[in-house]
Amino acid sequence: MSGEVLVRLNVNGEHHTLALKPNTTLLSALRTHLGLTGTKKGCGTGDCGACTVQVDGRPVNSCLLLAVAAEGKRITTIEGLSHDGELHPLQQAFVKHGAVQCGYCTSGALMASKALIDRNDAPTSDEIREALSGNLCRCATYPRMLKAVAGWKEFEGVPFDARPHVHAERDQQRDHSVVSHGVTRYDAPDKVTGRAKYTADIQLPDTVVGKILGSPIAHGLIRRIDVSKARALSGVLAVITGADVPDAWYGVSPAREDEQILAKERVRYVGDEIAAVAAVDLETAERALRLIEVEFEELPAVFDPVSAMASGAPVIHPEKPRYAGNINTRVDWHFGDVTQGFAEADLVREQRFVGNRTYQSPMEPHAALARWEHHGDRLTLWSSTQTPHYLHRSLSRVLDIPMGNIRVIRPAVGGGFGAKAEATPLDFCAAILSKITGRPVAMEYTREEMYLHFRGRHKQYIDLKIGVKKDGTITAVEHRVVLDGGAYTSYGVITAYYAGSMLPTLYKIPNYKYDGTRVYTNLPASGAFRGHGVPQPRFAFESLLDMIAEELGLDPFDIRFRNAMEPNTRTGNALDISSCEFMETLRRARETSGWTAKKGKLPPGKGIGVGCGGFVSGAGYPIYRSDFPHSNAMIRVHEDGTGVTLHIAASEIGQGSDTVLVQIAAEELGVPYEWVWMAECDTTLSPLDLGSYSSRVTLMGGNAVKMAAQNVTAQLCEVAARELGCDPGALTAKDGRIFVKEHSTVGMDWAAAARIAFSKKGPVVGTGCYTPPRHLGGEFKGGTVGTSPAYSFSTAVAEVTVDLETGYVTVDRFTDYSDAGTVINPVTLHGQVEGAIIMGLGETLLEDTIVDAGGRFANANLHDYLIPTICETPEIHTAAVESYEPRGPFGAKEIGEGSLLPVLGAIANAIYDACGVRVTELPITPEKILRGLKERALRGSDSALVGGEVA
Amino acid sequence: MVMPDFTYLRPHSLAEACALASRFGGDAAFIAGGTELIPDFHRERETARHLIALDGLGELRGIAVEHGELRIGALTTVADVAASPLVRNRLEALADAARAIGSAQIRSLATIGGNFCRAVACADTPPAAIAGGARVHLAGPMGVRELAAEEFFVGPRRTVLATGELLVAIALPPQRSGSGSSYQRFSRRKGSSLAVAAVAVRLTLTSGRITGARLALGAVGPVPLLVVRAAEMLEGELPSTALFAKAAMLCADEALPITDVRGSADFRRELVGVLARRALEEAVARAAVGQP
Repeated sequence: MSGEVLVRLNVNGEHHTLALKPNTTLLSALRTHLGLTGTKKGCGTGDCGACTVQVDGRPVNSCLLLAVAAEGKRITTIEGLSHDGELHPLQQAFVKHGAVQCGYCTSGALMASKALIDRNDAPTSDEIREALSGNLCRCATYPRMLKAVAGWKEFEGVPFDARPHVHAERDQQRDHSVVSHGVTRYDAPDKVTGRAKYTADIQLPDTVVGKILGSPIAHGLIRRIDVSKARALSGVLAVITGADVPDAWYGVSPAREDEQILAKERVRYVGDEIAAVAAVDLETAERALRLIEVEFEELPAVFDPVSAMASGAPVIHPEKPRYAGNINTRVDWHFGDVTQGFAEADLVREQRFVGNRTYQSPMEPHAALARWEHHGDRLTLWSSTQTPHYLHRSLSRVLDIPMGNIRVIRPAVGGGFGAKAEATPLDFCAAILSKITGRPVAMEYTREEMYLHFRGRHKQYIDLKIGVKKDGTITAVEHRVVLDGGAYTSYGVITAYYAGSMLPTLYKIPNYKYDGTRVYTNLPASGAFRGHGVPQPRFAFESLLDMIAEELGLDPFDIRFRNAMEPNTRTGNALDISSCEFMETLRRARETSGWTAKKGKLPPGKGIGVGCGGFVSGAGYPIYRSDFPHSNAMIRVHEDGTGVTLHIAASEIGQGSDTVLVQIAAEELGVPYEWVWMAECDTTLSPLDLGSYSSRVTLMGGNAVKMAAQNVTAQLCEVAARELGCDPGALTAKDGRIFVKEHSTVGMDWAAAARIAFSKKGPVVGTGCYTPPRHLGGEFKGGTVGTSPAYSFSTAVAEVTVDLETGYVTVDRFTDYSDAGTVINPVTLHGQVEGAIIMGLGETLLEDTIVDAGGRFANANLHDYLIPTICETPEIHTAAVESYEPRGPFGAKEIGEGSLLPVLGAIANAIYDACGVRVTELPITPEKILRGLKERALRGSDSALVGGEVA
Repeated sequence: MVMPDFTYLRPHSLAEACALASRFGGDAAFIAGGTELIPDFHRERETARHLIALDGLGELRGIAVEHGELRIGALTTVADVAASPLVRNRLEALADAARAIGSAQIRSLATIGGNFCRAVACADTPPAAIAGGARVHLAGPMGVRELAAEEFFVGPRRTVLATGELLVAIALPPQRSGSGSSYQRFSRRKGSSLAVAAVAVRLTLTSGRITGARLALGAVGPVPLLVVRAAEMLEGELPSTALFAKAAMLCADEALPITDVRGSADFRRELVGVLARRALEEAVARAAVGQP
């Protein structure tokens, strides 16, 4: 190609000469031209640090350095960090301290850490923070990175045991060999070496690049599209528009299928998909998009749900009369009698709260790769997804091909948090473009596109009213919510129900009314995000509870104890709470945080606050009506008995579910952890699992895996019983042996039993499945949402410092106690809770999307949409209370998603304690706090409220 | 967006660089660290067809004392500026400002010259340098010239640089004994963030009295703002809480903030008052250490 120059690069000690165009970045040269895909792309603009490499020893963003400018310099990438198969001590430290979750930021964080220790081999915590401030990690593994980098020297000269091995940390004292032990994450060794392959790392021969054209306007009708110039551009292989895609309406929620792959007539938000191209490279694809001519008839647009409901507002889905008034979903629940409940109350308080439109912002942009095989009638799609099954099903329905002809492969996923829980236009367009071109088509979103196409948190307008007796006993709650749904439904129907259904799981509410309205606007569609619909109502509830406690002269903990949920309770909205150690989390958090000595006794600007939360352990019903089991697993024993492979289409997205499932399999099989292989998540190999959403994998996937393992164990015990001349029921399997329970010396090797079983009857395979208890929930509309086999509970105490002159909030300390049932892996549990606290901190203080007058996001990038960095990391103490959930595998239930829920209220309450300012609108910015402080000073009062009045 | 095609030119001398830039005029841009320029390409804010790489011009790199002035070559990375004892000894504010920029990765690539020449309103080193009385050395087809740092900036992303002209160095005058400086900046998060408002101050104390003062504001105007009124008010006075409050108010008055995604104009103005007072307090404390 013209314009190329020869560039000599010295990478990891090897010299390469590449013919590159001068506009090639070092990142692109490494990944595309040298196949060194351990270096990741998270933004392309130097904001995230995922692409960090060392150049002459210094850390640099390889996305900002032109390859030509790196000539003659010594470049070290993650692939050059380990030598002769020996992990660098830093890599070992990351593995052992649990500093690896989704792994997408890991290479960059390791290279930045390496640059630090090269200059300073004993860095302080502050020095580590400064060195890693440019390495964003949305799993927020920061506390563990701090430990790993500070303690890296402990691993110097220590040969790494490549097998995942049992970690010393143990939370529980039950007689388990693998479960409840902090074993090394299953995927950590691949993630610290850059070997783990994410979708965009997969390079197939002849692959072409696809790209989607988004609408430049927020609302309008497409009058004309002319793609002739784009088609004529050299290097363009296909151009498609709405006319070339199926007419089917789709959506992850079968109740409201309102999306089309490419707009056929109308665009409803800036970014709405209009056309797609496939071309030989990204540059050509982008050039082709610019050559597509679209003529619009621009229509008035509306960007907030209150205006969208007003009469005369632009109608966003006029072809569907059921959405008249732009109302997408309406929920109207009344349990008990709130009128009577409020009449019985000694105090009734009502307050308006407003949430923020936040984004999951996983470090890995969504990517898809499609290829047609066989006789061109079978589609393979690699996709960065949390829910391979829903993706599989959507592809089948929209493209009108049987699921049997589609193979979905879920490679490593660099975080999801709800953003990757449905089929995306990338998945569909890659499939269609690949069919047309006959070549593999790779597509990925830019960071900016992620804000347009990832379904972020609904912004909620909440009017909350709570009635209590003098002693704090809740008599009634009325909860009215308007949700900004954006242009399409996504998961929004469920969000609207969740926003109401989860409040009564934490506190006993005898009379409860919930009125939820999800409204269409001309903004990107909102969807599911960690805590699905609940964080903002929970923030409102925890804030209002503190306001009430203050008015009644009660301690915030006391009002929570007074109303706390107890085990084996049916809530007013017909949810069955089984295990519940909420009270214990309150007790322990109060004690450990030093609450009594601090509350009300800290100097001005310092404050302490409590918040509580909890979540489902998997939804009681799938997103579409079906009778099949929600999780299914298969375990195949290797023929010589020295290993087993676990097959399940559950999705490791960073939360540690592969590790947890492997632990459960090993424990139940009675084999060492390192014997278990996790098969790739591939729908041709792995039985259906509904995926990683609603915190379902540990309980549901775990139960299916446990059952599959029991099945294998039963087969082997039968063989062993014959060999040992005893009853199979007398045998047990543990630590690689099968033996008589009462006489442990009488037994045989597990592997020997497996070999005999294989010799006698062929492959040893066990299967298992899990279906939640039938008929969960009430017989009213939406009564299924919020149902779950089990619920988690947690209490968090935040301590903050407020700069009384600038309003800046520093979160100093967090104490969190969770009831997660039996802890399967304490290391991943702490990592998940810490990550939830830090993500919640961002949601409370930093994150919001700013919409301009034309409906565009003014801060769709990682330097103005501010997610927490390592510098925001507070001191965090997390622990689990003793608990056992009878419906969970080994007594386990949810952790990680529910852990986000207490954070917002805890910080808001701590800020109030610190400075007397109650901010009711998220995020709680310095500007809002300062407004409150000024008002306080003006009125000479102790406190001020910043936020809206009840509508 | 993928970057457009451009040619990459590597001059070996200042004269060659200037000649190339003159030849291509508006179609050319100099590239040093590239940390602003590369994202600007992606954002379609930069349209140069020819990049003139400065990395071959060793004479633009390094920090050294020449004729009493501390000369910081334009190609010196901000990491090196932040870590330099020479810079810290002469103007703490500048070292602190350099350290506040972006992340470790950005600081390894970004140059102080780039921080000046891209002339982004929230750039950190310019206000600090201005408070320190820095001068900028320029070279171009018409020869060399030198001006006060505050005169370098014309508007957002606009400087006095003529076609073919480039920034060679930033020079800090000798600091009188009894001088101290401070750079105070507010951003929305601690790690890797852009300034919402910033104030740089340098004070000189003689026998406890302020005998020299320079104050500059960042991120609250189209260019870094030198606040002459506040400096004049401070000169000859004894430091006091009331005096600093008055000076801080003058700074807030002189700010020309706008409302954008990082904060409102009112909030920024208020921040300027707080930051100015804090900068004055830190500068006076630092000055007190070495005063005659």
